[in-house]
Amino acid sequence: MKTIPLNTQQAPPISVPLRFFTVAPLFLMLAALILLSGKYNPFANMHSPALLAATHCITLGFMAMVMLGAIQQIMPVVIVSPMPATRLTAWLAILPLIFGALLLAAGFMQGNPVLLDIAWPLLGLAFVTLIAASLISLARSPAHNATKTAILLSIITLGGAIALGMLLAHGYASGLLLPYDKLATAHINLSLGGWVLLLIIGVSYQVVPMFQLTPNYPEWLAAGLTPAIFFVLLLNLLSLLLEFRPNWLVIVVQGMFWFLASSFAAATLVLQSNRRRRIADPTLSFFRLGMVVLLCTAMLALATLFFPSNDRFVTLSAELFLLGFAMSLINGMLYKIVPFLVWFHLFRGGVKRAVPNMREIIPEHWMWLHLRLHRGTVLAAVFAPWWNVAVWFVSLGLLMQGMLLVYVLFTAISVYRRSLQRLEESSP
Amino acid sequence: MCEELAHELDVRGLPPPEPFELIIGALQTLPAGEFLHVRIHREPYPLYEVLRDGGYAWQTTELKDGSFFIRISYGQ
Repeated sequence: MKTIPLNTQQAPPISVPLRFFTVAPLFLMLAALILLSGKYNPFANMHSPALLAATHCITLGFMAMVMLGAIQQIMPVVIVSPMPATRLTAWLAILPLIFGALLLAAGFMQGNPVLLDIAWPLLGLAFVTLIAASLISLARSPAHNATKTAILLSIITLGGAIALGMLLAHGYASGLLLPYDKLATAHINLSLGGWVLLLIIGVSYQVVPMFQLTPNYPEWLAAGLTPAIFFVLLLNLLSLLLEFRPNWLVIVVQGMFWFLASSFAAATLVLQSNRRRRIADPTLSFFRLGMVVLLCTAMLALATLFFPSNDRFVTLSAELFLLGFAMSLINGMLYKIVPFLVWFHLFRGGVKRAVPNMREIIPEHWMWLHLRLHRGTVLAAVFAPWWNVAVWFVSLGLLMQGMLLVYVLFTAISVYRRSLQRLEESSP
Repeated sequence: MCEELAHELDVRGLPPPEPFELIIGALQTLPAGEFLHVRIHREPYPLYEVLRDGGYAWQTTELKDGSFFIRISYGQ
């Protein structure tokens, strides 16, 4: 019998992405505890310390942690170009990201300038490391595809978002006179509309057709969508430079952005309705939830432009984008990436009995339970800006999702270790 | 012209990594001089790297329905 080796030299060691993935849920739990700690409803005021701290635990500690772990794995597969100095890059990113996110959250909660001033250089180090490594990887890549473009644009917007975030944190800490509202708007637009949305779109171009067995995204859409979103984000930045932004300009720019974001959601839902195998799949359901919430967020965000109301609707659209859209997709991708990684690293020597089936690595009933928990959390988040009791449900939901993710990730790691041991025992 | 000895494998509609596992499994038992004919719904780029490293030759044809036909043999 011939043994056909699977070339894993391009891929980083399995410990690199798994390290990021296992730390991330701890920040979900921390965000939950922070939301519960305040005397008042943190969702009622978008500038409340608890909401700022919890939001950054989710965006930096959970979302960026998973996305940065995944990008190191995805680069060699999708653009045929690994990150340089994989292990060193991972350590130089994960440690300052963990401590930076913790100190930033503590700095917001306590209003402590010293903590903020320690946090922003640490976060800067983490992101500059990953941005530099990603750009080197992109420059070396021979691939020419829509995913590569999306990753490049996403990394550029991440650079802008991080620079603005560092300036804001330093400004708050030092009491600098800065146009905080405009800087915060640009920071949020580049972080969520740029880095998060563009990366999710780029990865979806691969993950949706491959794992959900749908047709490919139409070529014109895949090629044009992320550059168009990037262009609109630049327009938005330029409009913020104006001393006074006329309302019509805000409506035009925001309208274009949400139209493009909705096009992605609608295209994904249409592709999923044309999938080859109509079998229930938790990843597909996480993606569908995310796309439906993205459409709802777009409608809500546009409604707030035409019918200016109070800040709580703005908080709600940000919450929906983060928890309902981005977190749904990140959870869904985790449930494909982690079992695939375990299988991929065990399969190296070819087909053997000790290599488990991908479906056995994380039992599906845990994924369905997670989906139900997540739906409940998103539903509670809809009411949270107005109803204090809902804050408890959001917090409880985030806490339980964090615990569940830790459990399933360690389950996958233990399957990997046991299988590897069996493979080593059975090899001559 | 003599007819080639071929083993057929249809992995259309199977989620990853099942097509990959089935193809590799079939190649491990493929007798020398015989061919594996694969029908698959996506072009399997990662497979090509494995085939190249394993000393296999292959020929891919895109079919009218958008699926692919791959003819694989060892060292030919």
